[in-house]
Amino acid sequence: MQKVYRAVGITFLFLLTLGGTALAQGTQVSGTVTSATTGEKLWGVTVRVKGTQTQTVTDQQGRYALVAPADAVLTFAEIGYRGKEQPVNSQTTLDVALEQAPTMLSEVVVTGYTSQRRGDITSAISSVDLSSTDKQTSASVLQRLDGRVPGVTVNSSGSPGSRTTVRIRGVSSFHDNDPLYIIDGTPVQESYLNFLNPADIGEIQVLKDASSASIYGSRASNGVIIIETKKGRPGGRQARLEVRTGVATPTRGLDDMLMSNTLEYFDVIKRSYVNAHSGDPTPWPLDSMPKEIKAIYGDPANPEVPRWTYVDPGAIVSKDIWGRPDSINTAAYSYPNLLIMPGSAGTNWWKAVFSPAQFSDANLGLSGGGADNSYNVSFNYLKQDGTGAYSQFQRGTLRVNTAFNVGRLTIGENMAIGREQGYGGIDDGGIGEDNIIGKNILMQPVVPVRDIAGNFASGKFSGGGNNTNPLKYAFSHRFDKTLTDRGIGNAFAGIDLVRNLAFKTRFSFNVFQQGQNGFTPITPENSEPNTVNGIFDNERRGTDWTISNTLNYNWTTASHNLTALLGQEAHSETQRFITGSIAALLNDDPSSRYIQDALGSAASKNVSSTGSLDRLLSFFGKADYNYAQRYYASATLRRDGSSKFAPSHRWGTFPAFNVGWRASRESFFPQNGFFSNVMVRFGWGETGNQQIPGGRIVAQFGGDRGDTFYDISGTGTIQPGFRQVALGNPNVKWETNKSTNVGLDLEFLQGRGNFTVDVYNRRTEGLLYDPRLPSTAGAANPAIGNFGTMSNKGFDFALAYSGTISGNKVWSVAFNGSHYKNKILRIDGVTQAFFGPVGTRIGVAVINQVGQPIGAFYGLQANGYFPDSVDALAHRTNALGTCDTAPCQDAALPGRIRFVDVNKDGVITAADKTIIGSPHPDFTGGLDLGFRMGAWDFSATIFGSFGGQIFDAQKDFYVFRDFSTNVVKDRLTDSFCLPADEGCTHPYDKNAKYPRLDQFDASSPVISSYYVESATYVRLRTLQVGWQVPASLIRWLPSARIYLQAENLFTITGYEGLDPALPAAAATGASGDIRDQARGIDQGIYPSNRTITVGISTTF
Amino acid sequence: MKTSLRSRLVLGTACFALLGVITYACKNFLDTPAQGTLDQNALLTHAGVEGSLIATYRMLDCSEDVGSWGCAASNWPFGDITSDDAYKGSEATDQPGATQIELYNWTTGQAPDYLDQKWSTVYEGVVRANSTLRLLEQVRTAKPGEISDAVAKAIAGEALFLRAHYHFEAWRMWGNVPYYYETDTDFRKPNDLGVDSVPKLILKDLDSAIVLLGPSKTPRNGEAGRATSWTAKAYRGRVQIYTKDFAGALATFNDVTANGPYALETSFDHVWTGFQALKNGKETIFAFEASSNDGEPSGWNANWGERLNFPHSGSPFGCCGFHQPSQNLLNFYAVDGVTGLPKAIVSPGTWNTRNATWIASVADTVDPRLDWTVGRDSVPYKDWGFHTPEWIRASGYGGPYSPKKNVHEQASGSQSTVGWQVQQLNSVHIHLYRYADLLLMQAEALVKSGGSLVTATTLVNQIRTRAAQTAQGCGGAVSASPKTKAESIFVAKYPLCAGDTRMVVPINDSTIRWATYKVGLYPTFPDTATAMTAIRAERRLELGMEGQRFFDLRRYGQAYATQTINDYLTVEKTRRTYKQAQLPFAVRNMYFPIPPIEIDLSKIGGVDKLVQNNGW
Repeated sequence: MQKVYRAVGITFLFLLTLGGTALAQGTQVSGTVTSATTGEKLWGVTVRVKGTQTQTVTDQQGRYALVAPADAVLTFAEIGYRGKEQPVNSQTTLDVALEQAPTMLSEVVVTGYTSQRRGDITSAISSVDLSSTDKQTSASVLQRLDGRVPGVTVNSSGSPGSRTTVRIRGVSSFHDNDPLYIIDGTPVQESYLNFLNPADIGEIQVLKDASSASIYGSRASNGVIIIETKKGRPGGRQARLEVRTGVATPTRGLDDMLMSNTLEYFDVIKRSYVNAHSGDPTPWPLDSMPKEIKAIYGDPANPEVPRWTYVDPGAIVSKDIWGRPDSINTAAYSYPNLLIMPGSAGTNWWKAVFSPAQFSDANLGLSGGGADNSYNVSFNYLKQDGTGAYSQFQRGTLRVNTAFNVGRLTIGENMAIGREQGYGGIDDGGIGEDNIIGKNILMQPVVPVRDIAGNFASGKFSGGGNNTNPLKYAFSHRFDKTLTDRGIGNAFAGIDLVRNLAFKTRFSFNVFQQGQNGFTPITPENSEPNTVNGIFDNERRGTDWTISNTLNYNWTTASHNLTALLGQEAHSETQRFITGSIAALLNDDPSSRYIQDALGSAASKNVSSTGSLDRLLSFFGKADYNYAQRYYASATLRRDGSSKFAPSHRWGTFPAFNVGWRASRESFFPQNGFFSNVMVRFGWGETGNQQIPGGRIVAQFGGDRGDTFYDISGTGTIQPGFRQVALGNPNVKWETNKSTNVGLDLEFLQGRGNFTVDVYNRRTEGLLYDPRLPSTAGAANPAIGNFGTMSNKGFDFALAYSGTISGNKVWSVAFNGSHYKNKILRIDGVTQAFFGPVGTRIGVAVINQVGQPIGAFYGLQANGYFPDSVDALAHRTNALGTCDTAPCQDAALPGRIRFVDVNKDGVITAADKTIIGSPHPDFTGGLDLGFRMGAWDFSATIFGSFGGQIFDAQKDFYVFRDFSTNVVKDRLTDSFCLPADEGCTHPYDKNAKYPRLDQFDASSPVISSYYVESATYVRLRTLQVGWQVPASLIRWLPSARIYLQAENLFTITGYEGLDPALPAAAATGASGDIRDQARGIDQGIYPSNRTITVGISTTF
Repeated sequence: MKTSLRSRLVLGTACFALLGVITYACKNFLDTPAQGTLDQNALLTHAGVEGSLIATYRMLDCSEDVGSWGCAASNWPFGDITSDDAYKGSEATDQPGATQIELYNWTTGQAPDYLDQKWSTVYEGVVRANSTLRLLEQVRTAKPGEISDAVAKAIAGEALFLRAHYHFEAWRMWGNVPYYYETDTDFRKPNDLGVDSVPKLILKDLDSAIVLLGPSKTPRNGEAGRATSWTAKAYRGRVQIYTKDFAGALATFNDVTANGPYALETSFDHVWTGFQALKNGKETIFAFEASSNDGEPSGWNANWGERLNFPHSGSPFGCCGFHQPSQNLLNFYAVDGVTGLPKAIVSPGTWNTRNATWIASVADTVDPRLDWTVGRDSVPYKDWGFHTPEWIRASGYGGPYSPKKNVHEQASGSQSTVGWQVQQLNSVHIHLYRYADLLLMQAEALVKSGGSLVTATTLVNQIRTRAAQTAQGCGGAVSASPKTKAESIFVAKYPLCAGDTRMVVPINDSTIRWATYKVGLYPTFPDTATAMTAIRAERRLELGMEGQRFFDLRRYGQAYATQTINDYLTVEKTRRTYKQAQLPFAVRNMYFPIPPIEIDLSKIGGVDKLVQNNGW
């Protein structure tokens, strides 16, 4: 209380000096300013006598006092709140409640070891509007950030419980670009936050620039996302129950794209063979079709849906003239040795595997507190079935957050325990042919889902491809569970040492244990059968702990505000992973899936374990100062030591500063004009990155029974061998990110509208990277060093406005947009480019090249089709490597793709490969629309991504039929054709979508711009209608709202693949996570879901 | 008040400082060693050096960490499917990289990936050899006495031999290749030695190895996989003959045949075999010692590079139908019924006119090696029952035949019990060099250097005599697996096979109802041209499907290779329609293109240190 009087007194004295004549005529008016929404006392609200220079600000208790004429009008202004005018009317006490401006969040935000008033922030920090993320149903809160936060891009797939890839302001490094998450002070550096219940989250701040993030110096170069869970508030107990359930369907299915008619598909095969020529475009006779095709479809001139696609020779009684079994002995069927599979008139493989799936989510929370305590307890249960068969994600969490005041001491804890269990879904690594999507494309329509005995069927017949039945795949992995138990949280103690000086110590932990088990079935029905089943069993244990000690100092006068922070932190991460496997289980029932000698082939038992141990030690300090909330300055310094580097390179120092000027507080600034707040910000800072595996400062040697051991005696006994497995580099050190940010905050029309824009330039130097060595240096992992430089320049902005139409109708619109330009400036000074990780059947489609963004697409430039035989043969390369007319191209034929001779050497070779696209969008934007009318509310969110590209590697299958796969529906009608070709209606059509069907065409499918498509899309992310149930209707509930919502209702895109919102596929190299080198490659993703949800939320 | 304030201040600061100091004082806090790995010091022992040498041998074939098929020890993707011996096989779209290699589109699609697998494998071999030499030197310096002089010499000799072998593999693939020594630290050396200089360096390493390894005919520790000086000498001859130093080669071969430990196996089937007792016989000069059921739980040490090369799904092996013999090769095994000499020799104009599938028939007189080399319908397939059309993946594409040499005998117990596709995993050693090969090169060196045609005839006839010893027998239908049908079916076709479990029989055995086998001996060659034709024919018959053919064709000269391949294509494209897309043999095909990625990685200051071969 003493403090309050003192503050009031100081303010009063201050005003005396400024007051002038007003003093003589006025009386003292005082009061408290609170938030109309939360009741919180508002600190720093500007209170001004309208039309004069007389003004003051509220103190930390929301109190103000000034002298004003009895007939004066006071204006109250605060960032994030609607301005208010209040006539004095001779009162001496004037309490005011300010209404929060829409889209604005709480007043005080946690920005790293400490809190800041929102209005005092001079760096690039975005707060997430959680009411808007609540409108989505994904298990991970990160997935819901897509399009919400300017400067943040989010990718994830529709697979239940899938991982999310979050990038802040472009891509900083060649590998490991996940932001650092600080969950109630516990650092977590991976974008898998499914263990966190989104309903528990109280606030999320995204620290985008170095001046804000450098307080987390060491690991902040990819930005920091601070997540604070909901804390209790002193006051009565409040309970909240939220229940919702919904149905998800894939936004798009492969059956919208692919053929599902057997005879139509036969036409594709037939034309491919008839057109398959080496030089002469005259169609071949039908009879030239291979006999294995005739043995399925019969007479090529009069094809039939086969009665059987595969009959084991042992069951064939007789065959017809086409080699088709016409009489068989079905009684001979015996699984797995003697199989018989029927033919199908057309299997819809998509429908066989994908169907609508249920989703449900329930949250129960209790919060409250007394004079010296507060608590928040919550329970969550979430169950998400996958739209793909036999997949599911479940989560249960319990959170307890408490705080107690004991005199000057505050102690408390925030802690959550949870279990996640998932099975059958596709994690972000499950791309390519090896998942239910990829396998779906690989299946021909003629293949039935099941054989004559009800066992799963597949393409065992000649020409059936080497695929696995995707439904069988899903079915046999239905017991493959990943189970994670986790405890994450912290215990803290704080003490007010003296006035304005507080000490806080916190112990944070993140411990988890993850078990994963999997089964591989036998696949006798496959062309390439797997005859031995097997299991694996993995166990991973992780223990992270952090101790941090901070000292906070606070000095505030009416004009001077200074806060200072001094801290020290130690962090340790330990992981241990053990994996085991065994093959040839005698009994494949889940009850027998254990690694024991007697249960399977003892000789196949394989066990190994790995581990990691990494530590960080840090010291840091920060000072923030502002003068009258007009001039701001702040400085940060952090010093980190990392165990990943050698002692001489261990320590990194990361400074930052920023300044701000609130022009609207200047006396010359027009009062009550259009703008109520104008703030200009500038920040500069350095952050670091040390995300490499530990121990890479020394050369590592190892060996493996299958790699270096050898039977030198020739007796079947292997002897141990060793080789160098990794080169070490004792000089490897911190990667540094230097970032400059200029920002402008505007608030206008009494806080109804606001606009924030930030322009930045980030430059990462000394990029940690392991440049590939020529193979003459051997197979050891190359050393990791600090070589490259990468730049990200861009801007992000947010614009919001809300208005009122006649009383109870409130509307709001918020728009945010982001743009970044990523550019590799240097790789290692020697290499100008290196390829991304190999991922597609047709090879490497990605290059990282100086002057280009990371992960650019690289291949030949397609230039239409060879228009006719004369032209094609003139360009066709002969055995001498020459041709009649340059450029020469191998195997040139009419209707095959023609490539550009980029290097002008007259020959089309790999040297003509060039940049053919980039996965990075030019612009992403989110639009939030809201409308409230009485008890009803409507909202919609639209997200758009513009200018990015996708390398649709699936075209190798559904256009080029690599490996006898299914093809797109319009392959017969929209391919280049010659007049003599069957069904050719538009001969020589250079605008045809596909090259000529041609079984021997090996040149068109090579990596080229033909695979590159625009990834631009606009998607209605959410649409929600809510209704506040009148209290009269349900008397026993003080408050209830029911709502109906739809996610991903429609998408506008030109992309022809499954889903333009392509998740980043996992890719791991020797130095870490290299997924940013493999973005935008469509290899069979689990499409986003369209989810319709109904829910109720109540408080009581 | 004041005192308590001060004391609190002091206490608080002290707490803070203490915590800081405690953590900081733990200066070991940040010293965390690499987890789960060995450091170099751990290998500075005798065992470490031996282990490094073992790892060098291991690179003779693909390994768990250096995978895919371009690394195959047998060179089937480069030595066979590029020649008239074999097609890639399987289906048109399977392994498109290998398809491009077969069609001579060596820079198209994924062909460069196959080539890079080979490049990476051989140079990893070089790196392991050089690491061994370096480690040996370090141990000898740091711990004199740890390794005896004699052992040190032997280790160095073996490592040098292996270094020579890996460089030879690189040289015969690409010609212009860099040579790496244990002292090299720059791995972007230019390939500017010149095609003719590389073999000189190889020979130098071999000569050093010969000296270091000493005269012993027994490999060190009695371990059959190790190189001896005789291995190195035999290899020396091979390098010499590749460099057309026929006189030198002859001298080397004469020494090896006169004084070395080698001899021909008595029966052809003893060469490529899964029977443990027959492995590393007298004929083996150097082989990849494939092992199965060796305690490694995934079968990685088995015939890694060959595992695609088995009959497909209707067969006991299940997969994958690659490396299918060509019709041309089958025709080449046809024998003139009168002389017993190859029809290719006796009737050069007509030997390759047969388009009909070779299925079991006593009307066909063939060399018995045909049915040890090729799987064809209704002929017993070692001891697996008989080959049927269902064993073939896509006969309309890759023809009706299967490879056979690399396949184990069912009775051998060589099949792995663990790993992916156990039926395709065996311990059949991959012969990198065998005595028959040496004898035929000796004959060649003799003829080319103007030596005795009588001796040359004797050498060729020595091979033929051995070939005439045995043929494929019934092969124990009783034990055939369910896949290949019971004995009843087998016996229904070949009644004489009832109860006959012999896989190997004399070539005129009465049970043989699938062919008429005949091997005639050559009369003394009348001239060098005839001699060379016969020697080359014999090499093809003897070494068919062993990954040698394409390298032999190139060795015979550009004109010979061009004519042979192009004659082959002219006819073969009428038999296998996809062959229409194959480019003819041209000058540039004398060497494979250096993998573009390696050229790219060789850049220093924007300049390629590796220069691409002519025409690519």
